[in-house]
Amino acid sequence: MTSEQENVYDTSKCRLLRTYDLSEVDKLFLFRFEDPEKAQNFRFKPGQFVEVSLLGLGEVPISICSSARRVGFFELCIRNAGRVTSAIHHLNPGTLVGIRGPYGNGFPMEKFHDRDLLLVAAGLGMAPLRSVFLYALDNRWLFGDITIINSAKYANGLLFQKELEAMKDIATAENISIVQTVTRDPDFDGLHGRVNTHFDKVNVDPENCTVAMCGPPPMYKGMFEECIERGYDPRYIFVTLERKMKCGVGKCGHCNVGTATSWKYICKDGPVFGYYDVLDIPGLI
Amino acid sequence: MRYIKMTTANTYKFLENLKDEATLYAPTKISEQFYDFTEIDDVDDVEFHYNRTIRPPRRFFYPEEETMFRFDTDKVELYENTPREGRFVIFGVHACDVVGLRILDAEFIDEQPDPYYKMRRDNGIIIGLSCLPDEYCFCNVRRTEFVDKGFDLFFHEVADGYLVRVGTVQGHKLLDPYPELVGEVTQEDIDYMEDFEEKRSSMYTLQGNWDSLRYFLEMRLDHPMYERESEKCLGCGNCTLTCPTCRCYDVKDVPSIDGKTGERIRFWDSCQFRSHGLVAGPHNFRPTKESRFKNRYQCKNAYCEEVTTAYCVGCGRCTYFCPAEINFKRNLMEIGGYQGVGD
Repeated sequence: MTSEQENVYDTSKCRLLRTYDLSEVDKLFLFRFEDPEKAQNFRFKPGQFVEVSLLGLGEVPISICSSARRVGFFELCIRNAGRVTSAIHHLNPGTLVGIRGPYGNGFPMEKFHDRDLLLVAAGLGMAPLRSVFLYALDNRWLFGDITIINSAKYANGLLFQKELEAMKDIATAENISIVQTVTRDPDFDGLHGRVNTHFDKVNVDPENCTVAMCGPPPMYKGMFEECIERGYDPRYIFVTLERKMKCGVGKCGHCNVGTATSWKYICKDGPVFGYYDVLDIPGLI
Repeated sequence: MRYIKMTTANTYKFLENLKDEATLYAPTKISEQFYDFTEIDDVDDVEFHYNRTIRPPRRFFYPEEETMFRFDTDKVELYENTPREGRFVIFGVHACDVVGLRILDAEFIDEQPDPYYKMRRDNGIIIGLSCLPDEYCFCNVRRTEFVDKGFDLFFHEVADGYLVRVGTVQGHKLLDPYPELVGEVTQEDIDYMEDFEEKRSSMYTLQGNWDSLRYFLEMRLDHPMYERESEKCLGCGNCTLTCPTCRCYDVKDVPSIDGKTGERIRFWDSCQFRSHGLVAGPHNFRPTKESRFKNRYQCKNAYCEEVTTAYCVGCGRCTYFCPAEINFKRNLMEIGGYQGVGD
């Protein structure tokens, strides 16, 4: 770079180290910055995202889904859904991509301390929530009881299903409940139904619990009602949202949302919003 | 603020001198109906009395399309393509457009400044010019009809020339080399300016201010105006492309024929295009014309904290250049419940 100031749109080289199939359309990608110093200094908060560049094709915003504690690399869970993500799915380990970020506010993890934790994920929702979950595991002593509700339409779409199942015994010992449910898969040998139908299996104290949700937008309204009805503290209910994003830093305008007196950029002011933000900003969910 | 006087003849001389120092852009008549800021070769072409240019001055700082980076796909490296243009002057910017640029400053030069915009802004000199409103103007109810910031010099028409306000150190420096072109402001000049301002004020079709409009827009999200008017909308994006404060852009990579190199280009986008909210899936966050139309009305009337005005500066371009004759001012009046609707 020739300019004195760093260009906010410039990317850093990251090498793809490993891929792992999570479902028919979702893959987990492990990346490391080529510059060792950058790799060592890269820090993020659960809920933040990066812009992934495939030069010649373009950029896509993707949530980081690994543990913020693990220094030197990070993981992205990417669904093969569009032009760029499809190309990313065809990358071989060893390939270089451009990464900039992290962007967004992330979950206010300090507000989560000394409380129970409920994570509600639908579809791709488990991707950003996995970072929150791993944070809770890394700092287990800072949390009370933990429950995860992970859901998908079909069993083969349950993200991180095996990872969650694999830790079930340890989880029980650690007061962590893992609930996995499907909505449209009669062959699934497990729970069926939407996330809200399994609230009875949630093992947390609603009044002293922080809720973090991620899923398709129509899920949120029902979930808010469910949570309020069951006595969860609305100050501790958070969602993370998705929009079209190009710049990630509040310039390109695509993720603008709101009305004349409450106008927000999802990329900069979010993607994590609280229950009261949602009340304030019409059109947010 | 320093006030000086420049006669009409001296103003032409001053522009001639500026032209030698920097690229000079000023309003010229480009067709029977339209004006635009163009590069000035002959200062006699400069239009001092124009209502609005078809393109707002933002394009000098934030062009319609620009290459942000060139890239090498094998090395996965981006090579910054920061603007190389030298110093330039935009003469004849109306007050509303000066505010428009200040609004863009707030968006582009924040805690994470856009290097392309900022570099051009550092190289650009803004010279304002007084004007009289036509029926499309409503800068007065937007409180953008008079500016104190955002210009280096501001030329106010008086009987035999211009009363010039000096806005910045840069403005002083522009005048320093030409003491022979600069005179004292006289009592007649001040009286003229007072009369001019009074006349100007009386020419606006609306009076008062629209500070509370944003609340009404928010409380009347289901107003029938949106459905009725968005029916007429062609989705052409003219309203946003001619807007001095619209700033949405899209980015695309254009690879070379062998795919080894290429360019990352950004270009103006419009929230009135269907593709604006479209993501992979394909899910569209603003799938209907009405939802996109509503979005523009909310966005333009949102409050820019740094500049303490609405994002709409009341220049009238979106109405003047709308091929479907959608009248933004009138529609806002309807939502706000202001006088004059139905006249």
